[in-house]
Amino acid sequence: MQASLRRHAPFWISIAVGLAIWEIAGRASSAAFMVPFSTTMVRFWQLVTGGQFIVQFLDSAQLFLTGFALSLLVGAPLGMLLARVRVLRIGVEPYIMVLYATPMVALIPFILSIMGFGFAPKVLVVFLFAVFPVLYNTVEGARSIKPELIEVAKSYRSSEWALWREVMLPYTLPYTMTGVRQSIGRALVGMVAAEFFLSSTGLGQLIMGASQNFDTGGVFASIFVIGLIGVGLMRLGLAVEQHFARWRQ
Amino acid sequence: MSQSAVTSAAPPAVKPEAKHVWLPAAFLPRLITGVVILLAWEFIVRALAPAYVAKPSTVALAVPRVIADPAFLAATGATLAAVAQGLAVALFFGTVIGLMMGRSPLAERAVRHYVNGFYAVPMIVVLPLFSLWFGYSSGTRVATIIFAAIFSIIINVADGARSVPREYMEVARSFRAGRLSMLTGIVLPSSMPYLLAGFRLAAGRALIGAVVAEFFLSVGGLGYFILYNSRSYKHSEAFVGVLLLAAFGVAFELLVQWMTRRFMPWYRRDERGG
Repeated sequence: MQASLRRHAPFWISIAVGLAIWEIAGRASSAAFMVPFSTTMVRFWQLVTGGQFIVQFLDSAQLFLTGFALSLLVGAPLGMLLARVRVLRIGVEPYIMVLYATPMVALIPFILSIMGFGFAPKVLVVFLFAVFPVLYNTVEGARSIKPELIEVAKSYRSSEWALWREVMLPYTLPYTMTGVRQSIGRALVGMVAAEFFLSSTGLGQLIMGASQNFDTGGVFASIFVIGLIGVGLMRLGLAVEQHFARWRQ
Repeated sequence: MSQSAVTSAAPPAVKPEAKHVWLPAAFLPRLITGVVILLAWEFIVRALAPAYVAKPSTVALAVPRVIADPAFLAATGATLAAVAQGLAVALFFGTVIGLMMGRSPLAERAVRHYVNGFYAVPMIVVLPLFSLWFGYSSGTRVATIIFAAIFSIIINVADGARSVPREYMEVARSFRAGRLSMLTGIVLPSSMPYLLAGFRLAAGRALIGAVVAEFFLSVGGLGYFILYNSRSYKHSEAFVGVLLLAAFGVAFELLVQWMTRRFMPWYRRDERGG
C-alpha cells in the first residue's frame, strides 16, 4: 500500500498541479477565451445527461471502427502477400513509401466533391489515414524473415498454407502490430478530419457546434473527451504492440 | 545476403536478366508497376467518373499551367514558410524541454504525462480552440503546426538524453565540467540521432497540420489552393498541389535518412511512429 502510494504520488501530484493551473488560468481569463476545469466538467456532465454526447460518441465510434477494421483487413493480408511474392514487393514498395509520407488530408476535398456527404466517403478518409502504417510495417516485417526459413520449410515440402501459418504469420505479426499502433492514432485524426470537413457528425460535430455557438465550455469539454479517448487508444495500441513484441526474438 | 540488399545492389551474376546490369535489378518491376498504376487510374476514371475528376493525362497537362501560375507559387511559399516557422519553434522548445525531461527526474515526473497526453490528442481537434484564441489568421496556422510537431520532438529528445552513456557524464564531471557545458557538449550531441528521428515524424505531422489549418481557416496556402480548386471542379489543377505535398513529405523523409547516414553512420534505430 505504502509502496504503491509512493510510486503513484508523482503522477497524481503532477495531475493535480496541472488541473490547478487550468482552474486558476480559466478563472482569471475571460469566459469567451478559456473556461476553468470545473466549468468544463459541469459542461461535460450536461452533455452526457442531455443524451447528446452518447449519440455522437456512438456515431464516431462506428466510423472509427469501420474504417480501422477495413484498413486492417486490407493492409495486413496485402502486406503479407507482398512479402511472399518478391517481385511484386520490389515493384510496389517505393509507391507505398510515397503514399505513407503523403499527407492524406489533402485528398479530402476530392473525396468530398466526388463522393458527397454520406457514410462511405468518411470511412474512406479513415481508411486512407490508417491503412499505410499497417501495410508499410507488415512489409517491413516480411523483409525481416530470413530466406533460409522459407527455404527449409520448402525443402521439407511444406504446403503453401502451412508456410503462411508457421512462418509468414508469426514473423510478420509483431511488425504489423507496430503498424496497428500507429494506425490507431492516425485513424482517430482521420475520423475527426472526416467529421470536420465532410458532413458534420459525431464528436467532431460536437466541437464544431460548440465553437460556432461561441460555447467555449462546450469546446473545452469535447476536446477534453477526445483527448482522453486518444490517450486511451494510445495505451491500448501500446499494450497490443508489446503483447506481440514478445514474439520477436 | 539480406533481402533488402537485393533491391538496391547490382544483381548477382547468375541472374537470368544479367543483360540489365547497368540498371538496378529493382528498376524494371518498379517501372512496370508505375505504368500499370497510371494506366489503371486513367482508364478507370475515364470509364466510370465524370470528366472533371483528375486522371494522369489531365494532371500532366495541368502541371505547366499550374506551375506558371503566380497564385500557386505564392500559396506554396506561404505554406512552406509557415511549416518552417512552426518547425523552428517546435525544434527549439522541443529540444529544450526534451533535454530537461531527459536529465532531470523532477522535470520528467512533472510533465511526462502531459507530453504523452497531448501527443495522443488528435492535433486537428485543437483547431476550433486555436481559432478562438488567435482568430482566423495565419497565426493560428503556425500555432497548429507547433502543436502538431513539438511533442514528437520532446519525446524523442528526452529518450535520447536519458540514454547518454553514464561514463561520458562521469568523465565530464571528474573534469569539473559545468552543467551547461555538459548539456551542450555531451547530452545534446549524443541525443542527435533521436532528435533527427523526432524531427522526421514532426515534419510529417507539421505538413498535415498546415493543410488541415488551411482547410479549416481558409488561410491562403497549398491546402487552401487544393480546397479552392477542387470546389470549382478543377480537380486536375488541385491534384498538382497534392503531388507537391507528397513531394515535400518524401523530401523530408529522404533528407533525414540522408543526414542520419551521413553524419551518424554508426547509428541505427527502429523508428517510433505516431
